[in-house]
Amino acid sequence: MHKTLWVAWREFTTTVWTKGFIIGVLMTPLFILIVIGAMVLVKMQGGPRVAGRVAIIDRSGLVADRIRERFTPEAIEAEQEQNAQRAAKLTGEAMQRTGVGTTNPAGAEMAQSMAAAASAAKPADLTLEVLAPDADVAKEKGEVARAEIKARGEAAIGEKPRLVLAVIPESVVKPDDKGEFTKFDLYVTQRLDFEIKDRIERRIADAIIDARVAADARAAAGGLDAKALRALMRRPGSASVTATAEGDKKSAGEAGFLVPMGFMILLMVSVFTSGQMLLTTTIEEKGSRVMEVLLSAVSPLQLMVGKILGGMGVGLLILMVYSGLGVASLIFFAYQHLLNPVSLIYLVVFFFIAYFLVAAMFAAIGSAVTELREAQTLMTPVMLVLMIPWLLWMPIQRAPNSLFSTILSFVPGTNPFVMVIRLAGSEPVPSWQIPVAIGVGLASAVFAAWAAAKIFRIGVLMYGKPPNLKTLIRWVRLA
Amino acid sequence: MTDAIVIRGVTKTFGPKVAVRDLDLVIPQGAMCGFIGPNGAGKTTTIRMVMSILFPDKGEISVLGRASALESKDRIGYLPEERGVYRKMKVGAFLRFIGRLKGVDSAVLSKRIDEWLGRVQLGDTIRKKCEELSKGMQQKVQFLASIIHEPELIILDEPFSGLDPMNRRLLRELIDEQHSAGRTVIFSTHAMFEAEQLCNQIFMINQGVKVLDSSMEEIRARFDPRALIVEPLNANGAAQVDLERLSGIRGVRSVTPSRDGAEVRLDEQADPGAIMAEIVQRLPVRRLELKRVTLDDVFIDLVEAAGGEVPSRADLGSKEADGA
Repeated sequence: MHKTLWVAWREFTTTVWTKGFIIGVLMTPLFILIVIGAMVLVKMQGGPRVAGRVAIIDRSGLVADRIRERFTPEAIEAEQEQNAQRAAKLTGEAMQRTGVGTTNPAGAEMAQSMAAAASAAKPADLTLEVLAPDADVAKEKGEVARAEIKARGEAAIGEKPRLVLAVIPESVVKPDDKGEFTKFDLYVTQRLDFEIKDRIERRIADAIIDARVAADARAAAGGLDAKALRALMRRPGSASVTATAEGDKKSAGEAGFLVPMGFMILLMVSVFTSGQMLLTTTIEEKGSRVMEVLLSAVSPLQLMVGKILGGMGVGLLILMVYSGLGVASLIFFAYQHLLNPVSLIYLVVFFFIAYFLVAAMFAAIGSAVTELREAQTLMTPVMLVLMIPWLLWMPIQRAPNSLFSTILSFVPGTNPFVMVIRLAGSEPVPSWQIPVAIGVGLASAVFAAWAAAKIFRIGVLMYGKPPNLKTLIRWVRLA
Repeated sequence: MTDAIVIRGVTKTFGPKVAVRDLDLVIPQGAMCGFIGPNGAGKTTTIRMVMSILFPDKGEISVLGRASALESKDRIGYLPEERGVYRKMKVGAFLRFIGRLKGVDSAVLSKRIDEWLGRVQLGDTIRKKCEELSKGMQQKVQFLASIIHEPELIILDEPFSGLDPMNRRLLRELIDEQHSAGRTVIFSTHAMFEAEQLCNQIFMINQGVKVLDSSMEEIRARFDPRALIVEPLNANGAAQVDLERLSGIRGVRSVTPSRDGAEVRLDEQADPGAIMAEIVQRLPVRRLELKRVTLDDVFIDLVEAAGGEVPSRADLGSKEADGA
């Protein structure tokens, strides 16, 4: 027994302690984490801090005062508060949709603090400058073109560059002959941050709407002002609820859809990466003729079992790293309610089933060939079966309890992957199907291991022409 | 004392080809045994059956008193003909892995690996990857892998192939040392010189059938060519005439000129000592000696007698040199 474990240990360490594995498998999630962290940090810091002037030429004579109102410190503060509220409300709605806001105070708190952080930054110190209504656009525009953006605090008040020049024609406020409103012109200096430009544009546009409503006779007759109109026009939100037999549930939305797919990808990545490595090392042992040295110390069965166990360690490591990352990010984004801890247990159970099935087949193929190239032809039928759930995850996910999904749950090969999708989904799987599927999976894994042991015993010392599938089947029936 | 290996009536076929036919062989414990035979004679197949890597179709094999090598794997050291190392593994780690598989304790192993690598002048390679080593160096590492667990029975399939003369000598010393320590050593080889030097027992198979199984002395007695090698001091025309005159000596059957002199064949009853004295009187000689049979000769005689596909003498020489 200890020999088998030594083979397993070597298999595990020589696979894991390579640059390729550390960089390819372990560094990738780390890198993703760093990138996400950096993005959050950048977001927290807010936009660029810029100081400058916003110049206006108001040809209509109706808008300038209203713009000025929107550039007062109080108005700016109000605007920021409103943004923060809106952000919090959006996050809150998303959470309510998924049920976090009510059940998880920590999540709600975090959402609020994130929203606050996003809007707390005061990116720009902007001064409004109202020019004469008949000012020369070409001349005034020149100053915008020459403006050099300086960081806030660096420039004295008088030195603030002119960042933007807005020219507001009368037809923006009052419809022209055809009864249509025209646009206004906005001249912007180079390299001005688009968020700041957006903010300025929005303030001016809002001021223009105010002016339009004030100038509109119908609105005046109906006693409506811009604020009242805005309130009327706001689209109502909905609280999305899923109606089920056990009562109403909060809808999971799109995120709920991603978790089963994530589970299947996790399973596939861990099983195939480790299975592939098993294939490669078996071929290497055979190709480099180290096989006979090993066989003088261990039996073919011990060797195969050891290798499969070592590969299982590799697969479990990958599974843990990636599922750990997945769970961590779900918790970070306050989606942990989407995760049923029981489905994590099933993930591990079906990992073992899928791994032993795939590893046995890969070990058998690896033992039968001398080069990786020769393995390809034997791999194709195996891969075709195993790829079915990958290609069909959408219909399975959409209808987890359809006849099609149910049948695939009991087909050896597709069974662990399909079950993982179904179990991680929102629709409960009939309870009798779970033990039956596990039973089918175990039986198929045991059968694969048994057949692989027979092929392995003969294959490891066979050199020359690579065998075809028929030959492999003959080997299984031989002894 | 039990015998190290007992093979009784073993036959192994691969499809239509009979690799080993009805083989009987007994190797006593403590023997140093050379296993010779032309390419494709069934040497490796026999060894693999002894190692229980292959199983005979018929017959019995017992190893170290057990029914199969599977039960005594840890007591056997095996250097296969098709040998390899983990290319990406470090030399020390490779030996450690094999040692652990053979059941050697970790602490003992570290010391042994250091010692042995030093012995074969590879002390500085312990942290090098196997692929960085030359083929000859790799072969020494493989040899160490087969003896690191101090086995009672050492089976070496073509251990001398691919080594330069220096390393051949080193390996010869190491094998001899293992034998002196009381271990049973069996090696298959084409290198007849090494076999002659080392072995006290030789067996040979040809086309799967045993054709020779005896001690080196017995072989020498049995295949005594009863001939003298004569090289005259001056190899000129006159000397050639003198050489021809040797056929007049009583007891000389024939004189066959060779490159530097002649081979003088004797009658069965002739006394070699008297004839040698006679030759010296008639002719100043640079070299005069009793011809001793070499394994090369025996090998070729036996294979030719069997009518097999014989590697030519030149061919054999090159096989010996590159050890293929």
